[in-house]
Amino acid sequence: MADDNTASHRRDPIKSSVANVAGQRRRQQAVSVGKERRESLVRAKRLCRVGISGDSDDTVDSEMIIDEEQSILEAQTSSAVEGLKSVVAYQGKGALQKRVSALHELRRLLSRSEFPPVEAALKAGAIPLLVQCLSFGSPDEQLLEAAWCLTNIAAGKPEETKALLPALPLLIAHLGENGSLPVAEQCAWALGNVAGEGEELRNILLSQGALLPLARMMLPNKGSTVRTAAWALSNLIKGPNPKAATELIRVDGLLDALVRHLRKADDELATEVAWVVVYLSALSNLATSMLVKSDVLQLLVQRLAMSNSLQLLIPVLRSLGNLIAGDSQTTQAVIVPGHEITGNIIEVLVKCLNSEHRVLKKEAAWVLSNIAAGSVEHKQLIYSSEAVPVLLRLLSTAPFDIRKEVAYVLGNLCVSPISPTEGDGKPSLILEHLVSLVGRGCLAGFIDLVNLADTEAARLGLQFTELVLRGMPNGEGPKLVEKENGIDAMERFQFHENEDLRNMANSLVDKYFGEDYGLDE
Amino acid sequence: MASMDVEEAQLGFPHWKPLRRKFAPESPFFASGNIERELLAKQIALDLTEDEKHQLREMVDGEGRGCFCPIVGCGARLSSLEDFEDHYNARHTASCSVCSRAYPTSRLLSIHVSEAHDSFFQAKVARGHLMYECLVEGCGLKFKNYKSRQQHLVDKHKFPTSFEFFKKALPSKKQRQKNQRRQATSKKAESSSMQVDNETMDGLVSGVSKLSTSDSTPSAISFGRRPTRGMTFVPRAVQHEKKPGST
Repeated sequence: MADDNTASHRRDPIKSSVANVAGQRRRQQAVSVGKERRESLVRAKRLCRVGISGDSDDTVDSEMIIDEEQSILEAQTSSAVEGLKSVVAYQGKGALQKRVSALHELRRLLSRSEFPPVEAALKAGAIPLLVQCLSFGSPDEQLLEAAWCLTNIAAGKPEETKALLPALPLLIAHLGENGSLPVAEQCAWALGNVAGEGEELRNILLSQGALLPLARMMLPNKGSTVRTAAWALSNLIKGPNPKAATELIRVDGLLDALVRHLRKADDELATEVAWVVVYLSALSNLATSMLVKSDVLQLLVQRLAMSNSLQLLIPVLRSLGNLIAGDSQTTQAVIVPGHEITGNIIEVLVKCLNSEHRVLKKEAAWVLSNIAAGSVEHKQLIYSSEAVPVLLRLLSTAPFDIRKEVAYVLGNLCVSPISPTEGDGKPSLILEHLVSLVGRGCLAGFIDLVNLADTEAARLGLQFTELVLRGMPNGEGPKLVEKENGIDAMERFQFHENEDLRNMANSLVDKYFGEDYGLDE
Repeated sequence: MASMDVEEAQLGFPHWKPLRRKFAPESPFFASGNIERELLAKQIALDLTEDEKHQLREMVDGEGRGCFCPIVGCGARLSSLEDFEDHYNARHTASCSVCSRAYPTSRLLSIHVSEAHDSFFQAKVARGHLMYECLVEGCGLKFKNYKSRQQHLVDKHKFPTSFEFFKKALPSKKQRQKNQRRQATSKKAESSSMQVDNETMDGLVSGVSKLSTSDSTPSAISFGRRPTRGMTFVPRAVQHEKKPGST
């Protein structure tokens, strides 16, 4: 079980002489921490553990907090909040210093471990106090510490993030360009966590006007602020409502900034910017057409060619994929067979197919399948490129989700584009491609798909089998299919619960392997 | 998605159509990439080991990929899609020792053996007993003949009209070649007396068919020059022709 393994990866063995009961509790906590840890790791939220300004007076603790330590931490947190409460009320001499001190203490406690004592802080009433500390006119240091506390409170469970509701208007207000940059960045970070929670909170943030100030923070050329703002924006616009994405691309200067960053930024910034492009291209048609008309496609291709950082390659590849999948008219106008960019796109896609990373292989195949769904010239371009040998190899050796995407590419290469005038729903075959690919052994891979429990895969396999049965010259089709145990594969469907697949398999067997099969040999 | 229209369903086979596929940002298609993003972003801050990352990927992938066996009446949980092949070979290939036909459950196999290879079964049918059981486990109904059982499956259990429990397996290539040669030589040698032979043959055949008294499908045995050589797939169209009264 994954849980057990996770526990064994704790770096410090627990040395103590406590009784069995405590030991049991610790083990239980290790299991639940394992699950909690998994959940926290895949969240779209990020803890702030090291200050933006490189605050290095605190040692960052990455070890598991054992029982006793955890409850001590919680107690300390409660008293820190109490301390904050009293200094917030205090108006006398040195009030500012006391406040900053108290905030600093709370922030330190909330940044120590992977699982800060958020619940304790909330229970003790931290939020209203932190909201007060965000009031207009407060000194930067105070704002920074308060925003930092809020950031980490919002980095965990849903109900904890939702607790930030009262603080949102102020956090948004402090994004403004008149304020200090580190403060704005810390507020953006907190808001990014809130946006990462879910649609409901995203909508609230949007209606409170968070989009515009965050977008403006992306306009400068460099700095960590740009990066944090980009990340926060990617969480804010991820929908599923496309409104935010459409609004974002309309912000004056934003498209330029995206282009600039994709061209010149370092990997870290380019990564977050690419994620913004991912969501823009996935959700907004307006954004897609504006992006396609700019240099973005070229820049994405360049990044794919030059970089080997998986973190960067994933959103760049996906952006490319979304743009190509988005709007056929605009993209077909750019990805013209014969233009340099088209050849470059296929080249970088082949590079991704050859990568060792599963995500890159799968999504690159997806992108290729969409290009292969284009014109005959597009199909010829792919067919004669380096892609085909790689695809054929992947079809027989890769994990099943990659094989499915590869199947889409190969199948699309063999069938003509659907013309709107074609009435009988049977697109014609590109015989040259079909014969060649089958000759190079792809049929076995498709029949393997037929044998999978996944409906989509089986469907693809049966559809390709139909192409072979129908299209191979000299009636070779049935023999080839039989040789690859295609008949057995199709017979399995007689007792399959999926009626569509049953009918598909039955109709093929009836038509091509009827009583006349083999008669005229 | 390359999904089937309602129209297509009525037309027959849904042919391969090259379509552009677009996915929403939170689509399961993008899930593993999204996970990867978060893992990579946090790995430095949280000092994740390669092992931990690997486990996390596997865990998230795995949750999406377990499924249930799609063979009717099985419902076994498969831990991964690649599992299906092993599971199928282990549990769904019980085959008939007489005609080599494979069935997905031992119950269906035994029903097949009774109906197709057991003369006692046929004798009871001839005497009017309800011998044809419903194929759906737990239903319990029995019928006088294949056709009414078939109708019950379609009406009550929503089986497709194309479903045929009694369907003969395609003989191996060698067998078909043997049959062909036999046919060819007998054709040459006896072309002159073909007419007479046919009549005799047909007479014999119809006699045997009457023995079985099942009023539709071809019997398990067939002779020489009948169009159904040995054991072949009989297309539904042909089977429908051979329904009641035709033998």
